[in-house]
Amino acid sequence: MFVTCIRKEFYDVVVNQRVALLVALDIDALCACKILQALFHCDQVQYTLVPVAGWQDLGTAFLEHKGQYRYFVLINCGANVELLETLQPEEDTTFFVLDTHRPVDVVNVYNDTQIKLLIKQDDDLGVPSYDDIFRDDEDDEDGGDSGNESDDGSEPSGKRRRFDEGAMERRIERQRAKREWEARRREILFDYEQYEYHGTSAAMVIFELAWVMTKDTKDMLWWAVIGLTDQWVHDKITHMKYVTDIATLQRHVSRHNHRNEDEENSLSIDCMRISFEYDLRLSLYQHWSLYESICNTSYTSCSFKLWSINGQKRLQEFLADMGLPLKQVKQKFNSMDVSIKENLREVIEESSSKFGMKDIRIQTFGVHFGFKNRFLAADVVHAATAVLEGVEKGEADNFIRALDCLSRSNLDRLHLGLDLAKKKLKAVQQTVASCICTNLILSQGPFLYCHLMEGTPDVKLFSKPLALTLLSKYLLKAFICSTRNKRCKILPLIMAVPLDVEKGTLMVLGIPPESDTSDKKNFFGRAFEKAAESTSSRALHDHFDTSIIELKTEDRGKFLDALITLLS
Amino acid sequence: MFCEKAVELIRELHRMGDGQLPAFSEDSIRQVLEEMKALYEQNQSDVNEAKCEGKSELIPTIKFRHCCLLRNQRCVAAYLYDRLLRIRALRWEYGSVLPANIRFHMCAEELEWFNQYKKSLATFMRSLGGDEGLDITQDMKPPKSLYIEVRCLKDHGEFEIDDGTVILLKKNSQVYLRIKLSYIHLNTHFFFIDDYFYIIVRLIVLYIAQTLLKK
Repeated sequence: MFVTCIRKEFYDVVVNQRVALLVALDIDALCACKILQALFHCDQVQYTLVPVAGWQDLGTAFLEHKGQYRYFVLINCGANVELLETLQPEEDTTFFVLDTHRPVDVVNVYNDTQIKLLIKQDDDLGVPSYDDIFRDDEDDEDGGDSGNESDDGSEPSGKRRRFDEGAMERRIERQRAKREWEARRREILFDYEQYEYHGTSAAMVIFELAWVMTKDTKDMLWWAVIGLTDQWVHDKITHMKYVTDIATLQRHVSRHNHRNEDEENSLSIDCMRISFEYDLRLSLYQHWSLYESICNTSYTSCSFKLWSINGQKRLQEFLADMGLPLKQVKQKFNSMDVSIKENLREVIEESSSKFGMKDIRIQTFGVHFGFKNRFLAADVVHAATAVLEGVEKGEADNFIRALDCLSRSNLDRLHLGLDLAKKKLKAVQQTVASCICTNLILSQGPFLYCHLMEGTPDVKLFSKPLALTLLSKYLLKAFICSTRNKRCKILPLIMAVPLDVEKGTLMVLGIPPESDTSDKKNFFGRAFEKAAESTSSRALHDHFDTSIIELKTEDRGKFLDALITLLS
Repeated sequence: MFCEKAVELIRELHRMGDGQLPAFSEDSIRQVLEEMKALYEQNQSDVNEAKCEGKSELIPTIKFRHCCLLRNQRCVAAYLYDRLLRIRALRWEYGSVLPANIRFHMCAEELEWFNQYKKSLATFMRSLGGDEGLDITQDMKPPKSLYIEVRCLKDHGEFEIDDGTVILLKKNSQVYLRIKLSYIHLNTHFFFIDDYFYIIVRLIVLYIAQTLLKK
C-alpha cells in the first residue's frame, strides 16, 4: 500500500527497531542510502546495510537476515515484481519499498499489511483500480441454486424444468460476464505493465522526510541533488520532470543558503556551499581540458559528428568562432587563462547556437568547499558511477568505495573516481566512433541491433549495466545523427555485449527510440520476457531494470528472431 | 664538589625521555649516601665543637654542609619518585607482566612495589562494575558515541551484542551497533584511582630510602 505520511508510517515505526537496508547498485540508491544512514545515526537506529545487484542477491540477503530482522527497507529495488511471492516472508515481516522503478506491481500496491511503498500517490502512477483487477469468487450462487432445486421435491416437473432453464441462463450470463471481466482485466494489466519507466528520485523522497523532521543538512541536500542528477545523466527521466525536480531542490538550496547570507561576516571558505548553476553540459569539463570534454560529451560529439573528418573540421571552426586558441583549450581547465574562463559559458552558448546546439547549458547545482574543491553534480555522478562499476575489484568492494567517495571527507576517492570516469568516457567515445565507422549497427526491422565483439577494447567496461546504458544512448544518438535513412531514426536499439567468456553469456539491453519529446518509457522488459519464453532461451532476468537481461550466446540468434516477430 | 653525584642521577633520568626506565644505578646512590654520611659526621663533630668550644666561625660551614645534605636528599628522593612514576606507567602500558629487559632495570624494592601496585589495582578493578569487575586498563580513551559502524571485511557468522540480540556479519555488509555499556562507568571512576595512588607512593618512597640508607 502507499504510505500517506512517510514520517508517521515509516520513520516512527522503525526508529525503535533494528532494520535491514537492502540497496540496489545505482547512484540514486547510494545517495538515498547515505541520507537514511545519516538520519539513523542521528536517532541511533541500529541497522545492517547490504548491497544487492539483482533479484538473486536480494533473495539471498533476505534469507540470511530474515531470522534477525522484522523490518526491511529496500532502496531502488523491489517495486516492480510481486515481492511476497518472490521472497516468501513470514507474517510479521514488513517491507518498506523506496523504488523509482515503475510500474509498481499491482499486488504490491494492494497489499495492506506487509508492503509499504514509500512513493507519493500522485507520482504519475496510473495504477488500475482495485475492482478492475481483483474480484471475490462468486461460486456460491451456483451451489445455492442447485440446493434449491433438490429441496423443492414437491414441485411439479414442469416448474422444475423452468427453474432449470432460468438457473442455466443465469449461470451462462454470469460466466459470460466473468469472461468479459477477465479479458478486460488482462487488457488493463497489459497496458499498465507494458512500459517501464522511472519515478521521482529515491534520494529526493528521503530528503523530504529529513526536511519534514527538520533534520536535513547541506550534506543531505547535496546527496539529493546527486540522486536527481544521476537520473538525468543516465537518461531515466524526461526533461520536464528533471526541470520540475530541480525547481523543488532549488527551494531547499535557497533556504539553506539564506541562513548565511544575512550576516556581516560570511562563512569560512571551508564550509560547504551549494549553488544553483546554469552551466555547460560538457561532462567533467572543470576537471579536464575543454577540448577533451567537448570531444567526449555525447551531446557535442553527436552534433559535430566527431567520428568523421568533417566533424573534426567543424570543431576547429567552432573553437575559432569563439576565439579560443587551441593551446588554451587543450590545457587543463584550471590552468586556462582567467580572461578566457570569465565569460566562457556565455561565449560557448552563443557559438553553439550557431552550430545547431541549442541546449548546451543545463540547470544544475554545484558545490564548493575550500579553495580547491568545486564540483558540479554531474561530475560527482560520473565519478561515483565509475567507481561503482570499476572492473578491477569485486562488486561489493566497489559499492563501499562508491559510498565512501560520496562523503566530503574522502576527496581522494572522488578524484580517483573522476580519473576513472574520464577513462570511461573516452572508451565510450572510441567505441561509438568505431561502431559508426564500421557500420556495426544493423537494422533488424522493428529495431536496431548492435553486437560488440569479444576483442573490442574496453569491452569489459561495458559489461556493467550503467556503463552499457550510457554507451547505448550515446550510440543511438550518434547513429541518428549519422544516418540518412528517415525510418531508422525512430527505431529503438538493442545492444549485446559479452559478459562472461567462460560461461558464454551476453548482456542484452534495450533502449527506447531517441526523440526530443521522448517519455523514456521502455517496453523491452516484457518483450524480452516473452521472446525468451517462446524460444525457451536460457535468459536470466536478474536486474531490477527489466530491460537488461543475461543471455546464453548460443541462444542469441533465435532470441532475436523471436523479438523481430514479436515486435513487427 | 658536593652534590655532583646526586645531580648526575637526575641528569641520567632526564636524558631518558618518554617514560623509559634506565637501570637502577645502585652504585651512584650508594656513593651519594656515603657522601651524605660523611657530611653528616663532619657536621656532627663540628656542631659539638661549636657548642663546646664556642667556635662560631664553624657555623657557616655547618650551614653549608646542611644545605648539601638537604640537596642530596631532595635529588635522591626525586630520582626514586620519578622512577616509580615510570614503573606505574609501565603497568598501564604493558599489563601485568613486564618484559624481562625492563624488569632487569628495576631493583628488588621497585619490583616489590610494582607487585603491590598490581595487587591494589586488581582489587580496585574487582570492586567496580558488579560481580565480574571491570578491566579499566583496556581502552584508555572513552568512545565518542554509544554506537559504532562496523564494516565487515569477511564473513564472521553470527555475533552477539551485549543486549543479547544476534547479528549476522556477512562480507561487505555494514552494521551499526551499540557497544558495551561499561564505558560509561569508566568516566566516573577515573579521578578516584589517582587519589588512592598518591598516598601509596609517598609511603613507598620513604620505605626505599630507609632501606638504602640503612645499608
